[in-house]
Amino acid sequence: MIISSLAMMAIFTPSTVVGTMMEASKMGVTMCIEFIGIYAVWMGIMQVMDDCKLSHKLSKILSKPVQYFFGKTDAETEKNICLNIASNIIGIGSAATPYGIKAMQGLDKGDKRATRAMIMLVVINSTGIQLLPTTVIGMRAMAGSISPSCILWPTVVSTFIPTILGVLLVAAIYRRRKDG
Amino acid sequence: MADLFIPILIAFVLMYALIKGVDAYTAFVNGAKGALPLMASLMPFIIAMFVAVELFRNSGISAYLCNFLSPVFRFVGIPPEICELTLIRPFSSNAAYVLLRDIFARFGVDSYIGKCASVIMGSSDTIFYVSSIYFASTHVKKTLLTIPIALLCNVACAIIACFCCRFI
Repeated sequence: MIISSLAMMAIFTPSTVVGTMMEASKMGVTMCIEFIGIYAVWMGIMQVMDDCKLSHKLSKILSKPVQYFFGKTDAETEKNICLNIASNIIGIGSAATPYGIKAMQGLDKGDKRATRAMIMLVVINSTGIQLLPTTVIGMRAMAGSISPSCILWPTVVSTFIPTILGVLLVAAIYRRRKDG
Repeated sequence: MADLFIPILIAFVLMYALIKGVDAYTAFVNGAKGALPLMASLMPFIIAMFVAVELFRNSGISAYLCNFLSPVFRFVGIPPEICELTLIRPFSSNAAYVLLRDIFARFGVDSYIGKCASVIMGSSDTIFYVSSIYFASTHVKKTLLTIPIALLCNVACAIIACFCCRFI
């Protein structure tokens, strides 16, 4: 992608290549600094929730549906799946990833084919069951929106329906496989 | 209504901490401390992505691609202006944030396009990234229908997002 873009620019507008790159990296730094602010606030609040075991409670609530959709797994894997989903819901994707990877390893039985539970986990994660799109709301606030969080309910709706769709599809297609 | 939700949530968390006898201030500071190292480790990738996306767009390739696809997008109710965002979202969060920021600057954060873009950004995820790192940690070689199902869900997500945004 980069090489083809470079080639294209070298042919048509060679004088703008370096300028574009410098301008872009400057914008990148600005965005990183904005992100430090957004992450600091939300990671702080996450830590408060962690310390008073609130995030733990959230994952407890999730454990019933998780058992239903993922079938039998060992306790450790189940906990990882719950924590993965819980962190996704709060909108801290980077916190969800380590739990997700641990859960995947727990589901791994050395088989070369993906199991139903694995596919389920990846599909759920890739539809991003975010109930609190904290980063986007933060960006909207910084861009001077009059109502940064007005996108909340559309986000919830448009994250839930595809997630349900995905879960049902996975369940329907791989129902007969015993290894789920 | 929605604007109240986050303040209430934060107040609830703080109240809960108070009841449980947890020192909320120390906990907050400890959590927030992690933001700088996290961003420092992500910064090279974000800058690389910024440069790549800007080159991709300034070269005109993405414009051709979007021109080509915009009838399809218009048909399902997605404004052609956020076509680029929808295409890049499954590959890289950082690149998509670049585009989102640009959309805010060009069309306004509270415009219909700005809202649609925000919702799409918030409700979908980087399919290719997630599935590659998740499966990379296991023995699995055949991912079966994982990617097609995830992509289908993402398309559904974009369509629903643009539909919902008509009402806010």
